[in-house]
Amino acid sequence: MTEFTSLAQLTVVAMVPFLLASLGTMLGGLTGVFSVSQEGVMLLGASVGFLISFATDSSTLGILLAAGVGAVFGFALGWATTVLRLDQFVVGLALFFAATGLAGLLYRVVIGQTATTPRTDTLPRLEIPLLSEIPVLGRVFFSHNALVYFAGLLAVGLYFFLYRTRAGLDLRSVGENPRAADSLGIAVVRTRLWTTTAGGALMGMAGAFLPLVYTGTFTEGIVGGRGWLAIALTFFGGWRPQFIVAGALFFAAMDVIALRTEIAGTDIPGQVLLVIPYVATLIVMIFAFRWARVPQFLGRNYDRESRTG
Amino acid sequence: MTTPVLTEPDAVAPAAPSLTARLLRGLLPYVLALVAAFLVSGVVIAALGYDVVGAFRTILTTSFRTGFGFTETLTKWVPLTLLALGFTIPLAVNRFNIGGEGQLLVGATAAAGVGIVYAELPMVALMPLLILAGVLAGVVWAGIAAFLMGRFGVNEILSTVLLNFVSFQVLDYAATEIWSDPAAGVAATQRVGEGAVLPDIGGPPGVHAGILLAGLVALATILVTRGTAAGFELRASGTNPRAAGINGIRVEKVAVVALIVGGALGGLAGALEVAGVHGRALEGMQSNFLLLGIIIGLIARGSALWVPVVAFGIAILEVGASSMQRTVGVPAEMVLIIEALILIFLLLSDVIAARLARRAA
Repeated sequence: MTEFTSLAQLTVVAMVPFLLASLGTMLGGLTGVFSVSQEGVMLLGASVGFLISFATDSSTLGILLAAGVGAVFGFALGWATTVLRLDQFVVGLALFFAATGLAGLLYRVVIGQTATTPRTDTLPRLEIPLLSEIPVLGRVFFSHNALVYFAGLLAVGLYFFLYRTRAGLDLRSVGENPRAADSLGIAVVRTRLWTTTAGGALMGMAGAFLPLVYTGTFTEGIVGGRGWLAIALTFFGGWRPQFIVAGALFFAAMDVIALRTEIAGTDIPGQVLLVIPYVATLIVMIFAFRWARVPQFLGRNYDRESRTG
Repeated sequence: MTTPVLTEPDAVAPAAPSLTARLLRGLLPYVLALVAAFLVSGVVIAALGYDVVGAFRTILTTSFRTGFGFTETLTKWVPLTLLALGFTIPLAVNRFNIGGEGQLLVGATAAAGVGIVYAELPMVALMPLLILAGVLAGVVWAGIAAFLMGRFGVNEILSTVLLNFVSFQVLDYAATEIWSDPAAGVAATQRVGEGAVLPDIGGPPGVHAGILLAGLVALATILVTRGTAAGFELRASGTNPRAAGINGIRVEKVAVVALIVGGALGGLAGALEVAGVHGRALEGMQSNFLLLGIIIGLIARGSALWVPVVAFGIAILEVGASSMQRTVGVPAEMVLIIEALILIFLLLSDVIAARLARRAA
């Protein structure tokens, strides 16, 4: 395998957690609910995914349960901001803390203090017959674990759902103008509830991806800001799946470049390489916030009885 | 996204409520939230098979049983109060400063740098210099986010958070490449000079004198936000940006300044941690002060008056938690869940209180 092929393959893998978390953020955001609990929910997903996989030897079960707890947190956000109409940022932060605490607690309770770091198997690679035989492209795109394919198909599926179906249009109208949507008979609260729930599930999966694909172990710093970067990515992608995929490629490439250059060994201090993804994101956001379209009602709660909202 | 973040629960005011009635209504949500949070976490602790009574007794009383526990609580109170104020001041203009951690770390790095390079200076000269360095570093750090927000409209939640991750590497570089102390075991700078170590007051065991400065800062924040024109502009810009703008307040500018002031407090917290607690800057010194500062600010509903009080309560829980892990075996992570639950139940009880008030009206 050439150097380029292996780098490209790594980049595709590194895209997945960004893609899943960002698509989850986008789903809730398109109906107007802005989550800021990604970092915590991803850590919880990582913890649950690792622990279940460690205890049952089934990584599939680990991923599903990670998605399940993510969904619970997503639903809690949706419920608190629609039914109770609490402030989205405050609730999001509260859920971030709760998820962070729970992630650490679960790991401590199940594993305790051990001399050696417990490990679980990483996800098996599924080579797609025929397609994986294609030179270069086969390696880069068709020789991965199941979650990579899932993330790719999800992005494509969401694009068609949101922009090519009536239900998708209805969904987007809730985030653009809930009053108009409401008057057309679209169930605003129900739409917000299912999108935040599904979004939370994707964030939980994104978290589970980290121990189950990258490391095989769980540490408290495993998410390393990817949850926050996913929010930046969602803005950067203008809350549209096709641009989020493009943005995820950029974020993943930054990740891989920083890692590779460090391994290759250069005169550049390691610290400088490690800040590349964050600094690059800061710079990119200067432009992203200028051109990005944001759902009109993002971050705001809808009160049917209010005359001003 | 310009609606006020923290509003008083929408009370339908009955005719001239007495002071006690108002106090009761103000405190009731807190009491409910505390009780509910401890109930739920008690169930969790019991379900995990630990001694609930023992765990709660340790959490709540460790701070008061020994002089050491009380000193530790006060020592924690300093960064918690400063970071919470650093969060609530921008929050008054509806801006979220999630970068307290980064501001603390660059403040600590700068302060340690000054304390090492000018180690020979006497305290009267070195201490103000060290504190100034910490504050300025915090100002610069938050200033980056404030500039990006004011000039390019970059969301401050994201920029302040991302700068946290950059700050880890800033500290790491200083602690491994510039002033490294290989004997320390973790990435840490050398120790600062004699003149850069804050004396203890009271005791023994005593609390470092930085607590006086933190107390002064808290007092000044209360006075400025409640009693000056600048404080009025801050509050007006937050509660009704449109009306404030029409009346000639430059809301965007107020927001930028508020974020920078928040950064200054974070930097100060870093400097005091170096001068008062560690005697150096080191990896992990930020603890989980960022999360706690935000929790404190939100529980205090953004009020500068209540932040020091709530910070003291959270410091009690934090000191109790590490003791609980040692004696009862409940993982210290439990306390973060208790704190998050207090916040969540406080939000919920606001809703209940508002509904009750509406029904009564």
